[in-house]
Amino acid sequence: MPSDNRVVRSRTVARGVTRLRVVDPDGYADWEAVYRDNIDRLYRLMYARVGNRADAEDLTSEVFRTALGPLRLDSSKGEVRSYLLTTAQTVLASHWRRTLGFPVTSIDPESDMNSLAAPSASENPTDAPQRAAKVLASLPDRYRRILELRFLEACSIREAAEAMSISISNAKVLQHRALHMAAKAGLELQQ
Amino acid sequence: MTDHRVSSFIDALVAGRRPKKFRARAEDAEVLRTAIELRSARLGDAIPHDKFVADLYESLTEQANSSIGSNVRPLRARRARGALIAVAASVALIGGTFATTESFDHAPATSAAISVPHVGAVRTGTFEASNGEVLGQIVAYNGNPSWIYMNVGDPKLTGTITCNLQLKNGTVVAAGTVVLHQGTGMMSKSVLVDIHRLRGATLYSPGGTELASATFA
Repeated sequence: MPSDNRVVRSRTVARGVTRLRVVDPDGYADWEAVYRDNIDRLYRLMYARVGNRADAEDLTSEVFRTALGPLRLDSSKGEVRSYLLTTAQTVLASHWRRTLGFPVTSIDPESDMNSLAAPSASENPTDAPQRAAKVLASLPDRYRRILELRFLEACSIREAAEAMSISISNAKVLQHRALHMAAKAGLELQQ
Repeated sequence: MTDHRVSSFIDALVAGRRPKKFRARAEDAEVLRTAIELRSARLGDAIPHDKFVADLYESLTEQANSSIGSNVRPLRARRARGALIAVAASVALIGGTFATTESFDHAPATSAAISVPHVGAVRTGTFEASNGEVLGQIVAYNGNPSWIYMNVGDPKLTGTITCNLQLKNGTVVAAGTVVLHQGTGMMSKSVLVDIHRLRGATLYSPGGTELASATFA
């Protein structure tokens, strides 16, 4: 893109009337630029917080729809991303209130800023695999295997049971215990 | 009962379905959180579908049009009206009158005839790549406000491209973006600038690479 520091940005002030103004080159030219720069990362953040595509898409949409109106385009990119994250924080909290009654996961606009500010890399879209690998590595073999089969290899409970040569009932119990141990391991790794 | 619902929640996550609502207990939180973290470690779903990104863009464009009067148009409308815009721009160059529609945001919901500008009130340019290949045209119409129309067509191009205008004093004006579908796209936009101050226009790829430039005649 041009390196000219004096960038004039258009701003619609009434239907069809656009004013041109000098802006900080660190800002966004228009809402489309905000969208293009953040849609991918915001979706990935939401997906990491809800674990399923349908909810991640709905919540990402809600963030943009909510943020679009009050968005101030004369703000810096950092300020716009902070605003998007604050909106995402509220949208996610509301989602958990509606679905489970309490916040299972959350977004912290300060600590999650790296999720939006970091370069978008499709080869390595999230650090979730690394975090999961650490948790799984801390589990006994059978616990690790049932979780790998279910969560990483997308096996049904029947398929996981067959792969481990155990009954379906045993697979359910094993998964239940493994998840509880993984939850404890996750907490210990955070400390 | 809750254990069964926790299991159903986890089953839905594993299967890639949207989990059902239920009133969870506080002690379920860590297990549910762990299940979500493990599920999000499976590669694939962590990347948004192109269709979702395009559909949301279109939806937001409609929202922008209705709430802040932006002159960005829904993609379907753009495609449908692309030919009209091109024809209108051409007619504007040769004189006479043409009927406008809501395709032109400066005259919303009107079909009144607009006087064609005088010769000199319109400036045109052709977008050419560095190898001389023609990628599209741009037309600037001086008025209150002034307008630019542009179309781009190249089967090799995809995604959203950005157009900047250069003024004679060196200032760069962000003109807007064009979303290409099957290699073609268009944009019409009002700008409060005297078109005689325009020197040229440049198209950039989504990655910021210069694709083509035009010099206004």
